[in-house]
Amino acid sequence: MKSKKIFATILLVALFTGNLFAQSANEINKKSMDAIEVGNMEMISTINIRDARGNNRVRKITTASKQFGNVTKMIIRFISPADVKGTALLVHDYEKKSDDMWIYMPALRKVRRIVSSEKSKNFMGSEFTNGDMSKPNLDNYNSTILGSVNYGGRNCWKIQSVGKTSAIQAEDGFSKRISYIEKSTYLCHKVEYYDLRGRLHRTQTISDYRRLKNGKYFAYKMVMENNKNGRKSEMIINNFQLGSNLSESAFAPAALNK
Amino acid sequence: MKRFASIFFVACLSVSHLFSQSLFESALDSVSTDNGEGTSPISMNGYTRGSVFGGGKTYDLATTFAEFALQTNLTKGKTLLNSDIRFRTGVFFNQNEQHVQFKELYAGYSDDIFSVMLGNQIVSWGRTDGFNPTNNITPNDYFFLTADPDDQKLSNFMLRSKIRASQFIDIELIGIPFYIPSNYRYDLFDMGPNVTFGPGVYPEKKLKNGALAGRVNFDLPQIGWSLSYFNGYDPYHGFDVQDVDFSTGNPILTNVAAAYRKQTIGADFAIPIQNFIIRGEMAYNITDNPDNKMYIPASDFSYVGGLETNFSGFTIIAQYIGKAVSDFKELTVPVLADPTNPMAQMEYAGQMIDYENRLFNRKIFNQQEKTNHAASLTLTKSFGYDAWNAELTAFHNFTSKESLIRPKLTWKINDSLATAIGGNYMKGEDKTMFGYASKIMNGAFLELKATF
Repeated sequence: MKSKKIFATILLVALFTGNLFAQSANEINKKSMDAIEVGNMEMISTINIRDARGNNRVRKITTASKQFGNVTKMIIRFISPADVKGTALLVHDYEKKSDDMWIYMPALRKVRRIVSSEKSKNFMGSEFTNGDMSKPNLDNYNSTILGSVNYGGRNCWKIQSVGKTSAIQAEDGFSKRISYIEKSTYLCHKVEYYDLRGRLHRTQTISDYRRLKNGKYFAYKMVMENNKNGRKSEMIINNFQLGSNLSESAFAPAALNK
Repeated sequence: MKRFASIFFVACLSVSHLFSQSLFESALDSVSTDNGEGTSPISMNGYTRGSVFGGGKTYDLATTFAEFALQTNLTKGKTLLNSDIRFRTGVFFNQNEQHVQFKELYAGYSDDIFSVMLGNQIVSWGRTDGFNPTNNITPNDYFFLTADPDDQKLSNFMLRSKIRASQFIDIELIGIPFYIPSNYRYDLFDMGPNVTFGPGVYPEKKLKNGALAGRVNFDLPQIGWSLSYFNGYDPYHGFDVQDVDFSTGNPILTNVAAAYRKQTIGADFAIPIQNFIIRGEMAYNITDNPDNKMYIPASDFSYVGGLETNFSGFTIIAQYIGKAVSDFKELTVPVLADPTNPMAQMEYAGQMIDYENRLFNRKIFNQQEKTNHAASLTLTKSFGYDAWNAELTAFHNFTSKESLIRPKLTWKINDSLATAIGGNYMKGEDKTMFGYASKIMNGAFLELKATF
C-alpha cells in the first residue's frame, strides 16, 4: 500500500515536471507573441534617438493596425519632424508570404509601391529595424531554451532563436537573438541581437507593460541600445487605443494621400 | 414624445461626432499648441533656404536665391485647406528678381469615398520615375535650378474630384479652365545671332481652351495599374517662327512658344515580384495637324519600362524610355537649285528656316526618328542612420546621343537643418537640346535649408 502511494507520488511529480519541460522554446515564443496585442490598435508614439555624443533627434508617428482575415494591415504616418511630416507607410503583413508595402511622400504627391525586403534597415534612423516593427515568422528560427535566469527580479526563460538559413539571417540582419521571457506572464523583457559574426550588436529592453481590456498586454516603452556604437533609441507610447475604428478602406493605398 | 425624439437626435449626433474620429485620425487632424494647452486644427510648417547653382559656361552663378516657404494646412472635419506659398528673392540668370509663388493653394471637402478640391494644385500621374508619359496636367519650370526636382512643378487652377469606388479602385476627374505652359528659357541658349525669342502665343482664356482629364486607378496587392485620358493643350509646348526679318541681309528669326491641343490615352502599372518591382507606363498622344504646323508634334506612342530593386542597401531603378512616331515623315534638307538666282536664294532661305525649325521642334518632342530610344539609371542609398542620402541619376538618349549625369548628396545635420550638394552634367552634340542646355545647366548646386 505504501509502495503504491510512493509510486503514485512519483508519477504525479514526473507528470508535473514532464509537463513543465514539455513546453518547447517555440511554444514559449508563440505564447510570448500571443501575450501582447499588435493586431488591432491605434497609437501615437515618440522615438527619441540619441547618439554616443548625446545629440538627440525626435520622431513622432501615429500608427493604426487592424486584422482582416489572415492579413494584418498597418498604416504609419509621420507627424514630425517637419521635413517628413505627412509621409505615410502602408504595410499588409501576411503570415506566410512577403509583406506588401506602399509609401506616400508629400513631395512626390503620389502613392508608390516599394520593395519590402529590407527588414534589417533601420526604422526612421533609429536603432530599431523595420523587422522589429512586425511580428517575426517563428518558422524561420530554430529555438532552444538556454536556461532560467533572474532578470530584474523576474524568473525568466532565456530562449535562443537562430535563423534557419544564412539568407534568413542576412535578411533579418542578425544571426541569433536571445529573449528573456517571464515564466508567469510570458512577457518578454529583454532581447539581445547578435550580428552575423555572432557578436552582440543590439540590446532591447521592454518595459511599462500595461494590461488591456482583452487580457493581453502592450509595452509602453522600448529601448534599443547599439552595443557597438553606444547609440540608443527609445520608443515611448504617448497614447494607445485598443482596437481600431477604421474601416478596411482606410488601410488601402488610395487612402494614404488623404 | 417630440421632445424625447429631439433629445435622442441631438444625443445621437453628439455621440456620432465623438466616435467619428479615431485616435489615428485625430493625431493627423490636430497639432499640439506650443504651450501644450489643447490642440489646433491648423498646422503651419515651412522652411527657409539659401540656394546656389553655378559653374556653367555662360553664367558663373546661374541662380542664387533665398526663399521662405509657409505651408498651412487646415483640417476641420471633412473640410480641407492647403497652402504652400513661397517668397523668393535672388539673381536668376543675371537678373534680380523677387517672386511670390503660390505653389499650391486650394480648399475642399474630403470624406472616405468622395473628395472635391478647388484651387491651384499639382497633379502627379504615372508609376514610373521621372519620365511619365501619362502626366500631362502639371506644367514645369525646367529652368528653376535647385537640389529638389519637385521645385520645378507649377500648379494650375483646377477642379479636382476623387471617388473611391472600392478600397482598391478610385476614379479621378479634373477640369482645368485655363492653360499654363511649362517654362523653358530657350532665350537663354546660344543659338546664334540670327535667332531671337518673342513672347509666347498661347490659347485665349476661354473655357473651350480648357482641359479635361480622368483616371481610373487600381491598387491591388498583386498589381497596381491605371487608365487615364487627357484632352487639352499640352503644357510641354513647341515653338513657331513668328517673324523673319531680312532687312539686314541675314535673316533674323523671331521664335515664339506655341501651344497645341492633344488627346492622350494612357496606362501604367507596377507589379511586385519577390525583390523586384516592374513598372511600366505608356501613352498614345493624338494630335491634329491639318496645316502641318511645325510646333505640333505628330501623333506618337510613348512608353517607359522600369525595374526597381534593393541590393546591399542601394535602391536601384533602371528604365527604358521609348517613343514611336506613328506618322513619321523624314525631313528633307533643302537644296539651293540655282545659286545665281536671287529668287531661288530667297526660296532656299525660307525652306532652310522651315527645315531648321521643324528639326528644332522634333528635338523638343523627342521625335527625331520613327522610333526613339533612351535609358536611365538611378541609384540611391541612405546611410549614417538616414542622416545621409546619396543619389546618382544617369540618362542616355541613344537616338540623339545626349547624356546626363546628376549626383546629389544630402545631409540632415539635425531635425531642422539639412544641406544638399550636387551637380548636373549634360552632354550633347552641336545643335542638340543637351548641347544648348549644357552651357547653362552644367554646374554644381549647394543648398542649406532650415525647416520648421
